[in-house]
Amino acid sequence: MGVATATIVESVRGRDWRQFDLQLFLYVLLLIGFGVVMGYSAGFNDPGAGSGMSEMVKTLIWATIGLTLFFVVASVDYGWLRMLAGPIYVAVLGLLALTMLIGTNLFGAQMSVTVAGLDFQFSEVSKVLMIGVLAAYLASRRERIGRLSTILVAGALMALPAFLVFRQPDLGTALVFIGILIGMLFLSGASLGWMGLLAAGIIGSAPIVVGILQDYQRQRLFCFLDPSADPQGACFQLIQALNAVGSGGWLGRGLTVGGEGQRGYIPVQSTDFIFTVVAEDLGFVGGIVVLLLFGLLVWRILLIGWQARDAFGMMVAVGLASMILFQVLVNIGMVIGVMPVTGIPLPFVTYGGSSLISLLFGMGILQSIRMRAHKPTL
Amino acid sequence: MADLNDGRVDLRRSPGRFIAFSLLAVLVLLALGGRLFQLQVVNGEVYAGRAAADRTAEVPVPAPRGLIFDRDRRPIAVSIPSWTVKVRPADLPEDDLARVMARVAELTGTDRATLERRLDAFSGSPFDLVPIERGVGREAALLIGEEAQDLPGVVIAVEPIRQYLDETGKVGGPLLSHVVGYTGPINRDELEALEVDGYLRDDVIGKAGVEASFEEALRGTYGTQLVERDASGRQLKVVETVREPTAGNNIMLTIDADIQRLATEALTWGMDVADVSQGVTVVMNPQTGEILAMVSLPAYDNNKFAGGISSEDFSVYLADPDRPLRNHAISDIYPPGSTYKLVTGIAAMEEGVTTPDRQWPTYGCYQIPGAPRGECLYDWNRQGFGPLAMVDAFAKSSDTFFYQMAIQTGIDPLAAWARELGFGQLSGIRLPSEEEGIIASTDWARQQGRSGVFTGEVAQAGIGQNVIAVTPLQMLNAYAAVANGGNLMRPMIALGETDASGELIETYEPEVVHEVAAADATLQTMRVGAREVITSGHAYNIRDLDLPGALSGKTGTAEFGELTDEGTLPFHSWFVAYLPSAAGATDADLAIVSFNYSAVVPGNVSAEVVKYFLQLYYDLDTDLRLDPNDFSLLTAN
Repeated sequence: MGVATATIVESVRGRDWRQFDLQLFLYVLLLIGFGVVMGYSAGFNDPGAGSGMSEMVKTLIWATIGLTLFFVVASVDYGWLRMLAGPIYVAVLGLLALTMLIGTNLFGAQMSVTVAGLDFQFSEVSKVLMIGVLAAYLASRRERIGRLSTILVAGALMALPAFLVFRQPDLGTALVFIGILIGMLFLSGASLGWMGLLAAGIIGSAPIVVGILQDYQRQRLFCFLDPSADPQGACFQLIQALNAVGSGGWLGRGLTVGGEGQRGYIPVQSTDFIFTVVAEDLGFVGGIVVLLLFGLLVWRILLIGWQARDAFGMMVAVGLASMILFQVLVNIGMVIGVMPVTGIPLPFVTYGGSSLISLLFGMGILQSIRMRAHKPTL
Repeated sequence: MADLNDGRVDLRRSPGRFIAFSLLAVLVLLALGGRLFQLQVVNGEVYAGRAAADRTAEVPVPAPRGLIFDRDRRPIAVSIPSWTVKVRPADLPEDDLARVMARVAELTGTDRATLERRLDAFSGSPFDLVPIERGVGREAALLIGEEAQDLPGVVIAVEPIRQYLDETGKVGGPLLSHVVGYTGPINRDELEALEVDGYLRDDVIGKAGVEASFEEALRGTYGTQLVERDASGRQLKVVETVREPTAGNNIMLTIDADIQRLATEALTWGMDVADVSQGVTVVMNPQTGEILAMVSLPAYDNNKFAGGISSEDFSVYLADPDRPLRNHAISDIYPPGSTYKLVTGIAAMEEGVTTPDRQWPTYGCYQIPGAPRGECLYDWNRQGFGPLAMVDAFAKSSDTFFYQMAIQTGIDPLAAWARELGFGQLSGIRLPSEEEGIIASTDWARQQGRSGVFTGEVAQAGIGQNVIAVTPLQMLNAYAAVANGGNLMRPMIALGETDASGELIETYEPEVVHEVAAADATLQTMRVGAREVITSGHAYNIRDLDLPGALSGKTGTAEFGELTDEGTLPFHSWFVAYLPSAAGATDADLAIVSFNYSAVVPGNVSAEVVKYFLQLYYDLDTDLRLDPNDFSLLTAN
């Protein structure tokens, strides 16, 4: 007890608030702000809205909870995450399995567990937690990082939760796990030769993966190659998204005004397709601002990783950077028709409590890493 | 725990990989930005156009239907706002259907099966609104509106429906139902034929009477609006009105609703006292062909149709043996009996069979030439009249005289003169469902698979029996042609079309179908004969009416149908008459026909009906109506 208290006190003292990354914090806040405004704009003409809490209010509540968590986590030394990596891994697997068993049905997928009236998607949390688990493992590999076994074990660690999520079925999140794995392995210094070989193997086995997909997943997946293949069915969403994005032009059609009629054409708009609203309402300029914010955010995260005091901190940072970059690529890529349609949220912007809280938790860890880097450079 | 204080050397940091990763990130963002540029800036217009096309649609805007007025500008058919219950199938969950329909049925008072049948019958998109009950009461409409939350997919719409009025401006469909007709929801066949003309799935269309025959003018021109819709087809807002709807033109009928009332009253009385099941009275201006009244009884209530008739009400009408939905004046054909002697007389004189003065013997029973001895055709007067010339034969309605005329003339010339007087062909009145009738001729017989018409049948044709069937309107029109000096008119039901303010914008001119090819003297002889029918013939006390002008006319009876309990055939009586309605005038401007089907009393009910109508029409003080027991005083023929 005494030791534990002393550790916490010490870990809190070890921080240096002058090192708090204001830029990172600012970009995050701006992205959340974007999400709130866009969600409002999207829902503005939705005749179904108006009952219960509005998404905007909910988002603000989630953001408040998330920011509190952010500051708490930031003020505590992130070492606990590495220490608890084992139990966390077990907990993640357990919770994902639990979600499969008791999850509520949302758009045909068991993806969330309702706690105190608020839907909670463990798959979102599990992404951040798995970054910690993987970082702990990779950090422990040290000089053996270049071995094939590193890649195999890391892959196995990731494969279990990825498989559980895939079976929910949540193909998107499963893909994010793979994106995180590749990004972290790459930046940890894992053997490029082995990675390339494995990647070739995975690409070779892609047809098998496609084969075990549900029909609707497969259809949506390949819409982006030729949206006109099934304009009324699976590709309807994508065609409408392209129309909405395209009609944004340089400066967009204006908030809440933009494509009033278009709104209803894109289901789950305030979630996965939120970028269509950004692009339609605020145009090319608005879209570029969002991309720029993500670019700056990823830059700050990589910087924090580079400067981290230990390998674990670095790995957590590059994991988060990989996750965000991957999600931005797949989400926005999907909306603008260069990526298959999968259910991956746009970090911070997409409406969703679990995603937002998980991300802010991750950002808190990042600040903790930042404030404990002993050797600030740049 | 040791790892907590690991130094920064625990894992080699690879600047190369960091740089590579950063470059990848930049590349990803640049690619996304580039694609965004391509979508929004380079091809923005294309997508914006597609998006606009997707969410906007041109929808038709119904035009207010034209009204129908009588010749005195009394409104007869008007449009009133009414509530219609509609269902958007896409918004009504399948497993909720039964409950929702049951509740709507409860609130509207229509049975559930009917509502569901109407919903099932609809073939459009599930996002279309399907009208399932029109003419819903205000109360029910408000209740359904209040329960909207519990009735998913059910919508209350305000739509105009027809209301049919009588001569006093009160709701009263039956007075003019056969003339005005009614509107109703378009059916599948009609839609198929008319979709190209812009008719809509939930459209209303004239189904009978003037509503049907003047549909084009009454409907107007639908407008078009460009509306913005969401994905489920709900209309969000009107972008612009592409074309304003043009209200339909109002139709002004030739009918005078007051005269229609008087004719209805007279006919109703006659049918009542003589226990007649079907009756017709038509009043016309013989100079122009304008129909002033057209009564067919029993009538139906077209207001029941305005909001979509219930299947019960409809099957009651259909099951009625007297066929109240049919306009007996134009849609049913009956043997004309002695009234047809007009045709035989004209034909005989024009074909040179006889002259106005030539006398012919008449018989109690006329031996048909070439038939075995004893096979004779009776005169209604079994004693015969002795020798008669045309005028007296017509006035006394001698059957044996006209048997001879018909046989001497021959069936084909007789048929040709019938056609000359408008029989055996459509009169051309602008009302739907007109019948042509049957006029025996050699061609007709061949169509029956026979070589020709038997001589006995030719004789029968001469007195309008057996092989001759006409509509009451054709009969009236033939006498009108004789009365007006030989112009076969096209009967008119409408005077013209007016705009919304009642100004006539198109006047329908009287139309002469053709001039009857008979000599003036021939027609004059028949006019004299028709006058004699009233003055010295057997029309009994009609001559005592204090009329402004000289009345001429002809009675007729046909015995056909099923034997009564007494073993006689039912009496079907005709009376057709015309007169100038001003003192001293010679040109008849009023012509009336009455036909009563299946009377149980002998005698001419129709003559009584016309007599009573004239009393009412000229507001005469003396009531000359006979007691039904004395109807036989009016000899049937």
